[in-house]
Amino acid sequence: MNDLPKQKETTLSFEKIKKDILHPMQNHKGLELWIVFLIAVISVCGWAYYIQLKDGLGVTGMRDYVSWGLYIANFVFFVAVSLVGMLISSILGLLRIDWITPISRIAEIIAVAFVAVAGLVIVLDMGRPDRVLNVMIHGRFQSPILWDVTVITTYLTVSALLLILPMIPDLAICKKELTKASPIMKKLYNILSLGYINTPEQHKHLHKMIRTLMVLIVPIGLAIHTVTSWLFAATLRNGWDTTIFGPYFVAGAFVAGAAALIIAMYFFRVNYKLQDYITDLQFDKMGKLLVAVCLVYLYFNLNEFLVPGYKMKTGDDVHLKELFYGHWAIMFWSSQLLGNIIPIILLVYKKFRKPLPIMIISLFVLAGAWFKRYVIVIPTLLHPHLPIQNVPENFVHYYPTAIEVSVTVLSFALVLLIITVLSKIFPVVPIVETAESKGIEVKIDA
Amino acid sequence: MKNTIKNIAALFLIFIFSGSLANAQGWSVPSSAKKKQNPYEATAKNISSGKKIYNLNCKSCHGDPTMANMLPLAPVAPTDLGSQNFLVQSSDGEIYYKVNKGQGAMPTFEKTLSDEDKWMVITFLRSFDKNKKERQQVAEIKNPEVTDVKLELKVNEAEKNMSAKLSGVTKTGKRVGLQGIEMSFLVKRSFGFLDVSGEDPYTNEKGDVQIQFPKDLPGDREGQVNMLVKVTDDAFYGKLEEARVVTLGVPTDPVNPLDERAMWGTRANAPIWIIVTFVGGVVGIWSVIFLVLFQMIKLPKLASKQD
Repeated sequence: MNDLPKQKETTLSFEKIKKDILHPMQNHKGLELWIVFLIAVISVCGWAYYIQLKDGLGVTGMRDYVSWGLYIANFVFFVAVSLVGMLISSILGLLRIDWITPISRIAEIIAVAFVAVAGLVIVLDMGRPDRVLNVMIHGRFQSPILWDVTVITTYLTVSALLLILPMIPDLAICKKELTKASPIMKKLYNILSLGYINTPEQHKHLHKMIRTLMVLIVPIGLAIHTVTSWLFAATLRNGWDTTIFGPYFVAGAFVAGAAALIIAMYFFRVNYKLQDYITDLQFDKMGKLLVAVCLVYLYFNLNEFLVPGYKMKTGDDVHLKELFYGHWAIMFWSSQLLGNIIPIILLVYKKFRKPLPIMIISLFVLAGAWFKRYVIVIPTLLHPHLPIQNVPENFVHYYPTAIEVSVTVLSFALVLLIITVLSKIFPVVPIVETAESKGIEVKIDA
Repeated sequence: MKNTIKNIAALFLIFIFSGSLANAQGWSVPSSAKKKQNPYEATAKNISSGKKIYNLNCKSCHGDPTMANMLPLAPVAPTDLGSQNFLVQSSDGEIYYKVNKGQGAMPTFEKTLSDEDKWMVITFLRSFDKNKKERQQVAEIKNPEVTDVKLELKVNEAEKNMSAKLSGVTKTGKRVGLQGIEMSFLVKRSFGFLDVSGEDPYTNEKGDVQIQFPKDLPGDREGQVNMLVKVTDDAFYGKLEEARVVTLGVPTDPVNPLDERAMWGTRANAPIWIIVTFVGGVVGIWSVIFLVLFQMIKLPKLASKQD
């Protein structure tokens, strides 16, 4: 920490913090335009989903062999990214690591947006989405699908609570300060702030609740990704039938989540002019964290591919050859190299942990993470244990159709829209916590 | 130009044809293999089982022995293995060698048939050899020409045996038993049939054949099994069979794998530990969530307390 440039924090006062953080929420002209753009994208892609709903899943590239295509790969990716909420605000929060204070809310917003849309992606993947409740009504306790639905719902709830509860003091400030807000928003601030005026009792009571949820979300966060991996690992298929799939997915999720958080931090820092709060220190620390989780993931990848590659068991051999130097080699190696190994090497150097370079590297890591999920889901399905006779040509290949790509774009636009809207109505950097961490006196009027 | 191509193509075809022809004719068998003797006797039973194996493995190409109804394959059609010509030319050891090795379109049976099976087939083929003095007459018992062939079943549930009677009406209007006909006694399984015919299921001079039903064969709850009794070879009197439900099996309560608590079971039959883990986990975690939500209500009250 000593080698970092000293922050110009002498001029910070509670009033200035409030102004800096609340100002961009109401006075950012580009924001409305961005929201309109996202809604336009969602509308256009919504038309693609309407066609899928009307004509059935036949409009996708999915057939009898590849029945989990782009949608499920995307679902796994979204679930992965959402794990960052648990990593930053819970694990590091419980360890009382202080540099996460200004970015913990962004992490929580990412978690809520991605896990909410992850659940929706499953519904988008269904031919009969009207029957989604049957999973709950007729679900078997033995089925990882029921576990997954349960754990995603639970994670969404706890993440939303972990977003709102620490925000209660800030919402009390919003209620007072954001005089220009619409009546609906004022009412929302009023309800959600729960009459908080920062009395010692309230402070103690609130933090007890937050700490309870922070502990609670650790097993749920681990479960959400472990169970998602079990959707694959509970089968006998080559490439999925592996005992380390649970921790492998968790490690991969930390990588994807950390990269997504760095990208979001950069855009909020630039667009909301939060350079005084999301400082170079946060990027530097996040860079080191990303290297750490990437190394863990690399270690898991080594085990996941080197050990079966050494043995080349029947069935595994076809799968692995396809990945290593077959049809999937480019996707596989670019996700490993550009999405993991090269970022580790670069981020070891301090100059690459500056905001702009690390944001660009994180884009590669995130894209690599997405393609990694694609390479996990589809190649395995193309090699069933019991091949069907006289297989039609379009069973043995899988190319996502324009409809599938559009619906996937829709899910991304929806995530961005949720993040944008949440960051427009809620302060993205915790006002009270930031002030408290800098030893500035906090005063909230009743 | 066209003619040249045609000529070349014709030459090419002739070349291939003659090549394979030469191949087919030049099937030399080592003299040591020729001397090999058939270790099995030409009993009725051996000939009969040889016929079964022949019908399963050889008939599709070679046709029925002596009937010359083989598959018309080009360039060389399969030999009629019952022809006197073939039987005179080939020793038992020679046929054995050819069955084992195969050549061209004739596949090898070295691994697919056991030695005993192969010798049975050779025994069956040799039964057509007119030069063999010791050949059994059993396979060629002549029944009178009959019409209205009937198959009657009698089941003795106490003794667990059953008998079938095969009879027909002669030209003189007399109903006589048909002798030396092989019968099949089959029990319906989940897939296909179980043959319970036993060692010697040939009708005697009265047209009767009796079999002992296995004592340990499971039936349904009442011990019932579905029997199918038929004349094994349709060639004699056409398709002749009778199906019947008999109470000869051991009464058995069927085991449905879905009835037990297992990972593959229905939700109601989930293993207890998995229900406890799932429900316990959900109830435990959601209780904490509701506890926190409930605690949130206290926040506004704590503010007024200060006043």
